[in-house]
Amino acid sequence: MKTTRREFLRLVAAGAAGCLLPARRLTALGQTQPAQPAAFGVARGTDPAAATRAAVDLLGGMQAFVSPGDVVFVKPNMSWDKRPEQAATTNPTVVETVVRMVSEAGAQRIIVADNTCNDARRSYARSGVKEAAERAGAQVPYMEKRRFTRMNLGGKVIQDWDVYRDAVEADVVINVPIAKHHGLSEVTLAMKNMMGLIGGRRDLLHQNLPDSVVDLTAFFKPSLTILDAVRLLKANGPQGSTLGDVVRMDTVAASADPVRIDAFGVTLFEGLLAGAVWTDYPHIVEAQRRGLGTPDFSGEGYREVNLG
Amino acid sequence: MKNLRRTSQIVFLALFLLLFIQTEYKGSDQLGLPVRLFLDINPLIALSALLATRTVQTVFLLSLVTLATSVVLGRFFCGWICPLGTLNTAVGGLRMRRGKPSPNDGRYPRLRQVKYFILVFILVAAVFGWNAAGLVDPISLTIRSLAIGYNPGLNHIVREALERAYGLGVPGLSPAADALYSALVGTLLAFEQPVFRQMIPIALIFTAILGLNLLAPRFWCRYLCPLGALLGLAGTKQCLARVDVDARTCAKCGACNRTCQGDATPFPAGSWASRECLVCYNCTDVCPVGAVRIHPTTRRTGAGNIDLGRRRLLASGAGALLAVPLVTLGVHRSRAHPELIRPPGALPESEFVKACVKCGACMKVCLTNGLQPTLHQAGLEGVWTPILVPTLGYCEYHCNLCSQVCPTGAIRPLDMKEKQRTKIGLATFDTTRCIPYAYGRNCGVCEEHCPAPGKAIRFRDEEAVSRRGERFVLKKPYVIPQICIGCGICENKCPVVDIPAIRVSPINESRHDDRIYL
Repeated sequence: MKTTRREFLRLVAAGAAGCLLPARRLTALGQTQPAQPAAFGVARGTDPAAATRAAVDLLGGMQAFVSPGDVVFVKPNMSWDKRPEQAATTNPTVVETVVRMVSEAGAQRIIVADNTCNDARRSYARSGVKEAAERAGAQVPYMEKRRFTRMNLGGKVIQDWDVYRDAVEADVVINVPIAKHHGLSEVTLAMKNMMGLIGGRRDLLHQNLPDSVVDLTAFFKPSLTILDAVRLLKANGPQGSTLGDVVRMDTVAASADPVRIDAFGVTLFEGLLAGAVWTDYPHIVEAQRRGLGTPDFSGEGYREVNLG
Repeated sequence: MKNLRRTSQIVFLALFLLLFIQTEYKGSDQLGLPVRLFLDINPLIALSALLATRTVQTVFLLSLVTLATSVVLGRFFCGWICPLGTLNTAVGGLRMRRGKPSPNDGRYPRLRQVKYFILVFILVAAVFGWNAAGLVDPISLTIRSLAIGYNPGLNHIVREALERAYGLGVPGLSPAADALYSALVGTLLAFEQPVFRQMIPIALIFTAILGLNLLAPRFWCRYLCPLGALLGLAGTKQCLARVDVDARTCAKCGACNRTCQGDATPFPAGSWASRECLVCYNCTDVCPVGAVRIHPTTRRTGAGNIDLGRRRLLASGAGALLAVPLVTLGVHRSRAHPELIRPPGALPESEFVKACVKCGACMKVCLTNGLQPTLHQAGLEGVWTPILVPTLGYCEYHCNLCSQVCPTGAIRPLDMKEKQRTKIGLATFDTTRCIPYAYGRNCGVCEEHCPAPGKAIRFRDEEAVSRRGERFVLKKPYVIPQICIGCGICENKCPVVDIPAIRVSPINESRHDDRIYL
């Protein structure tokens, strides 16, 4: 797959160039957006759609990440055959809002997909995400085996692996995870959500989850991460057991930096899990060590709105 | 009339295939179409299940319609509706075309009795507790053969062709193959490539049955089909479609006999065999002088029906009497086979094998392809009944499709709540293979996938030191037998893929009081 690798390099170059783009555009749009776009935005409010919009607006709006004509891959979690209120899958309203914003920013094509754990048809339907994303104008294909392509991810534990081609070829990847407890890694947040973009023997990666999820994040380089903590799964994750495992948080966080998101995400579990500081989580430590971002989400560039 | 009959055959075959294809999850928890229709209207299945289980199900009433139709119309069902009959007609047609109707068409007249012996055998066996009907019932046989034998291969051929075309990367061709693939998958093709144990033998048996048409047209229907025998007997004195040859105008050419699909010998006048007639209208259409008529009459036009012979019928019944104890004798009765994981809702084993007609509809509809035909696991009496093979597919927690398609209630219809409480087995760890136990590394895939409320798989945390000398928490999984329902997703997803480190066996299944031990 030589061409694919070349394409990937081109993508990286394009991505790097893209990073310069928002700054220029923001100055042009200065009057409608906050003068200083945040590096990390948190919106709290009972309306998931409003919270999602507010969180992304704090970062300078979706046009800071998506250019007209882009092909955008949105990666929610719809891995389980569970209803939205069971908080095992990303809130459909959050995904729908993200797709609408991406569409408003002028994307030519929006793809929403996930490699599910339960039957794909059931999971796509029961999570409500397929219907919501299609309503907002996205294509929501099932991840068919033939659409995976083997690439060298150059990771610490993941080298040659099957990756979902549409996610690699997209101009922009937007990660929309849900904050959940996880039986093995304690939490699953932004970085772990990248698991849904690969095929192959994912089960083997559980023997070294921290390095694996950092490898995947480094490879797919999501331009934007929007964390759904409207409902939070506090126990028996990642699929939950009863509704007693779910707590309402009414929170959506957004950042271009997945490490900030995960470092913020673990604080949501304060009092629920033993570890509530990012240093308790090896994958965040590893991501920082590799320079994927900063866990210091609350420092410079932190902004929060409360919508009530 | 022949053309009308052909149209009917094509329409019903198309309906049958449509319902067959729709025997799959299509996005709703309830199957929308009456996919069991052809099984439901089948009096042989109803009768054998009734005799074997001694329970009446309301759905059996539907088959009375077919039976009643046969009483007045003869084997109209065979000639106009039965999908296997239509396939046999089509294959037989290949032979006819090669050199006009062959004079050998009626060459096995005595073989026509065999189907009655098979019928008697089946019914007597059913009374004594062996439901063998499904093995040879034409509807069960066809659904099973298509689902397990033909469908996987057809799917694979089309998928491979389209995937190759897609992979070529030729402009124009690849996008076209891609579009076609997307349009076919989930509609005409299965959502996932199906795979079944015994695919080849089951396909070969069906191919052989179709191939027999080259020896004599509608070989199966004439000589072997027990449903045809049942409907023929029911329609012995049928009064609406009797074949009548006018002896005064008859040219005595014998063309009617040569084109007769059922070998019902309309010629010479008065020798017509009502039980063999498929009401196909070949005779009326072929007669050069218009001497053959099919019309309603109460006048008995001859007695061409074969004398079945009381002794031979008794012998068939006696054969069944001997066969039942032999078939039900086996190690499977001494102790349940460890692979005998039945789908949720399955009746207790002795009742289940009596009710199941081996049609394979449950295996066709199973979301994960986990339901597979038995070979030896349930003994000879249970051959081709469904078992869950967790390494191939697990029982999806929110799905009860198999119980929706079962025609005889062998898999009881369960509402979702009851289904989710029904234990079909119990998972047990093999700690000599399980990664945390055997190799001291974390894994936890089984725990992650366990869908049972309260989690049937939990972790015991243990302080451990890695090979590099780092301290870490080793999570050792264990099973809570009170919660485990045996769905098998843990075994299916276990990274130890050859002999999984967690395996489900039917112990603790709720359908048997004496197997629940915890």
